[in-house]
Amino acid sequence: MDAELAEVRALQAEIAALRRACEDPPAPWEEKSRVQKSFQAIHQFNLEGWKSSKDLKNQLGHLESELSFLSTLTGINIRNHSKQTEDLTSTEMTEKSIRKVLQRHRLSGNCHMVTFQLEFQILEIQNKERLSSAVTDLNIIMEPTECSELSEFVSRAEERKDLFMFFRSLHFFVEWFEYRKRTFKHLKEKYPDAVYLSEGPSSCSMEIRSASRPGFELVIVWRIQIDEDGKVFPRLDLLTKVPQRALELDKNRAIETAPLSFRTLVGLLGIEAALESLIKSLCAEENN
Amino acid sequence: MAGILASGLGVLAHLERLETQVSRSHKQSEELQSMQAQEGALGTKIHKLRRLRDELRAAVWHRRASVKACIANVEPNQTVEINEQEALEEKLENVKAILQAYHFTGLSGKLTSQGVCVCISTAFEGNLLDSYFVDLVIQKPLRIHHHSVPVFIPLEEIAAKYLQTNIQHFLFSLCEYLNAYSGRKYQADRLQSDFAALLTGPLQRNPLCNLLSFTYKLDPGGQSFPFCARLLYKDLTATLPTDVTVTCQGVEASSTSWEEQRASHETLFCTKPLHQVFASFARKGEKLDMSLVS
Repeated sequence: MDAELAEVRALQAEIAALRRACEDPPAPWEEKSRVQKSFQAIHQFNLEGWKSSKDLKNQLGHLESELSFLSTLTGINIRNHSKQTEDLTSTEMTEKSIRKVLQRHRLSGNCHMVTFQLEFQILEIQNKERLSSAVTDLNIIMEPTECSELSEFVSRAEERKDLFMFFRSLHFFVEWFEYRKRTFKHLKEKYPDAVYLSEGPSSCSMEIRSASRPGFELVIVWRIQIDEDGKVFPRLDLLTKVPQRALELDKNRAIETAPLSFRTLVGLLGIEAALESLIKSLCAEENN
Repeated sequence: MAGILASGLGVLAHLERLETQVSRSHKQSEELQSMQAQEGALGTKIHKLRRLRDELRAAVWHRRASVKACIANVEPNQTVEINEQEALEEKLENVKAILQAYHFTGLSGKLTSQGVCVCISTAFEGNLLDSYFVDLVIQKPLRIHHHSVPVFIPLEEIAAKYLQTNIQHFLFSLCEYLNAYSGRKYQADRLQSDFAALLTGPLQRNPLCNLLSFTYKLDPGGQSFPFCARLLYKDLTATLPTDVTVTCQGVEASSTSWEEQRASHETLFCTKPLHQVFASFARKGEKLDMSLVS
């Protein structure tokens, strides 16, 4: 028995140390150091390759490092791009020195765990004064399709034919998505008996229950919204489930005002700290 | 025969031995079970802890490895074989095509001898608009060598906030401002070029295109009093105004139909792009004309 108890203590200590190593999951923009470092490294390689750019192999290497850089910078990894051009200029247009060209593009790639395939058309009209380019058709296929928060955004991007907004928002959405997943996982591991992810860590809700307080349940709903302008922001809501008796005893109406107070808490402490403080408050006695 | 019998006996003996082994282990397991009943909880706990520790170890290792891999990916692929000229050229074409594709993400760039020149493309509702570049020099501190960003975009502010700590955020933030500016400018340009007939005076605008002032009539020939609109876009990263005031001069305050129209116009300007609002005015005007004819 003693040997086992000793093993339990040793394991608990190691787990605590490992947790510390995994703690503080970085906020979306905090993986900056990775970009800064790769920035430096690419520049270093590039300096060496810069001098003899006529060589085909060197040229390829140079371009590949450019690609690598762009991929790290945008967070978007484009794997394939093909293009077809069709000249739609009629003889009538040529007489007026108007040129009309239709480009058909197909590109595919991924942004972290989301893969996309785009097909779009760009119509270019060149007249004497200016060149105008417009996206005339946009089709987007995304996987995985269970990111329901994304499908609404995708239809809006297709409707507006807004390619740039699609990529920009995708980048930020995926960062928030990963951050939410990491945070939920981290909290589940830290408080395995209090936190429940009934729909998995990739979903938008997390439940907090305490064995010592049956009947009480706090549900955090953390949605990632994309507004009309393509801006991505988190929206957190708190739902409470409380026994009838508790409601009767609640003279200060704390439960009624909880959702609003929660929003304030998030504003003050930040998402993670707010969630953690909620967990601690419900499971105060069990907290070791 | 003897050989087979002997081996048969051998097999039997072996089976007997196995049997006793099994019954012994059964007895042992019964004894163990009672002991285990006591230590059962502890054993499961250890098992759980071991699993958790292994998962955490894997997570930490994975975290460290992915950071390393990212930096490693950046270094040139040194195992590229020296293929025939054609294969290399095909690969080159492929890479060039993918690089071109990055323009469609809005952010693209070229490596330079001193660092990188980033190209920010802007668009509004599918219309591809101007591009701007920012030439960055890789030194400590990171420096903007030169750029084509208009002077009224708060470039220095954005750079001060993010450039040294997070290039990605700096560029995406700049992207937001430039795209919004491009979008506002596009709307104002379209209003001036396509709907001049509905404007009763020149469109007044500032370089940043976030303060617009104009007068218009829904029915240029008939309506006697023009509407006066003032659009203010406080949020420089948005393409819709934050404050809209529409007034109608020379009309009695008690006139409810004018008030309704005025209020609805205010709402329209707040929720739809400028040129689209005027497009709907023009359509309504056409309908009115038709009713006059019949």
